[in-house]
Amino acid sequence: MPEFNFHILHQAIYLKIHSITIHIGYIAFFAASLAASLYIIQDNALKNKMIGVIFSRLPSLSFLDKLNYRSICLGFPMLTISVISGLIWAKNVYGIYWRGYNSRHFYSLILWLIYALILHVRLSARLGGRKVALLSIAAFFVIILTLFGACP
Amino acid sequence: MDLIVIGINHKTAPVEIREKLSFSPKEIIEANRLLKESVFLKESLILSTCNRVEIYALCDRGKDYLSGIKSFLGRYHGLGLSEYEERMYVREGREAVEHLFSVAAGLDSMVIGEMEISGQVKKAYQDARQGLSTGKVLNRLFEKALNTAKKIRTKTFIGQGAVSVSSVAVRLAEKILGRLDDKTVLIIGTGAVGEQLLLYLRKNDVKSILVTNRTLEKAQGLADTARATAVAFENFLDRLVDVDIVIASAGAPHHIIHKNDIASLMPRRKQQPLFIIDLAVPRDVDAGVNTVDNAYLYDIDDLKRIVDENMSLRKNELGDCSRIIGNAADIFMGWMAKENPAPSYRRRTAEEGVKGEM
Repeated sequence: MPEFNFHILHQAIYLKIHSITIHIGYIAFFAASLAASLYIIQDNALKNKMIGVIFSRLPSLSFLDKLNYRSICLGFPMLTISVISGLIWAKNVYGIYWRGYNSRHFYSLILWLIYALILHVRLSARLGGRKVALLSIAAFFVIILTLFGACP
Repeated sequence: MDLIVIGINHKTAPVEIREKLSFSPKEIIEANRLLKESVFLKESLILSTCNRVEIYALCDRGKDYLSGIKSFLGRYHGLGLSEYEERMYVREGREAVEHLFSVAAGLDSMVIGEMEISGQVKKAYQDARQGLSTGKVLNRLFEKALNTAKKIRTKTFIGQGAVSVSSVAVRLAEKILGRLDDKTVLIIGTGAVGEQLLLYLRKNDVKSILVTNRTLEKAQGLADTARATAVAFENFLDRLVDVDIVIASAGAPHHIIHKNDIASLMPRRKQQPLFIIDLAVPRDVDAGVNTVDNAYLYDIDDLKRIVDENMSLRKNELGDCSRIIGNAADIFMGWMAKENPAPSYRRRTAEEGVKGEM
């Protein structure tokens, strides 16, 4: 009877945690940036006083703002857990934590910093509304970069 | 049998004549009954609103019922025929059907696409049923009219877009702030337009209202009528921290809210959006305020322009609406022909039937 390999089980758990949390996180960030995009469209319409038919179908600014905030509030802890579990898993598989500046680790760290910054400016009321929406759209581009631009 | 409508409306007669010919809610049921009996109509219905008085009737073909209906109106209201006869319009058959359909959908109203008229048509229909003056044809006609009105409202943009300054302002406030029942309004000055808007906002259930004016007594006066709180003019800028909507209608010769006031206010408001409506001429608020993030400034011309745009948007929908009305009228006329075949039509089918049997 072959000996059961607990080491592999460990790896699998970290990988599972990593993949579940990162999926939830990305979906939340996607919702946040979608809300932010609609916010910008609506904000431009209101500032320029171009009130058309599309305008009347959009939800209110305050709703979009809240949706953006709550999505980031969900996504940010998910991203945090996912980065940590990913690091542990990578250490187990590759033997190192840090795999250089072109790795997903590096991009994920940037992403984490951006969302931390968004939450910070928001909670300290330094920025709000439009600027936060622009930041969360920018953050979503970094997600795309992380997914497709970096070595796994 | 023929379907006719005869009436006056805001396009053909001034209010002085319309009000003399209108029926009050108290007398409408009795009037419906009287009309049907005195003019010997098969079915009849009176539609009386502040913008129109119309009589829909089903009568035998080939006889003149028009003069009967016209003189009934005169007799009932104690008016000479000459006072209103030339203001009246008459539509028959399919045209009458299409006329009712567009009236019920608000296409014939003073403000195109307004919703109130559908309810009034429904009320008139119920009253006539109560007066036992309608029958199979008018019942079906009015039910069709109400259905078509509903269809037009959901399938076209005819009722979309606010078309008064107050409703545009409220619609914008909802677009910016979401729900209004937890929002605070500050009104500066006691102008008539501002007061009107204030009462409109009150109707939309804003949480609280603050009033300020250079003379505090005047502010107190308006505050009393609008169930609001008066605030001293000197410190209204500080109160803006908790305010979501500002209505400026003070008759000042210079700006009373500057860009810097709002820009320095925003961090203290935690960047919560601020909606400023400037109704004053000359303007009370520096136009630069609109460039501050999360502050939205609309002056009276902006609001009027949106009203005009929404109005022309509604007018663009008229083509689609008349297509829907045309289809509904086709269906109704088809039903009419089957239910009440014209004499010539009936004879021909009878002959054909006989031939077929032989």
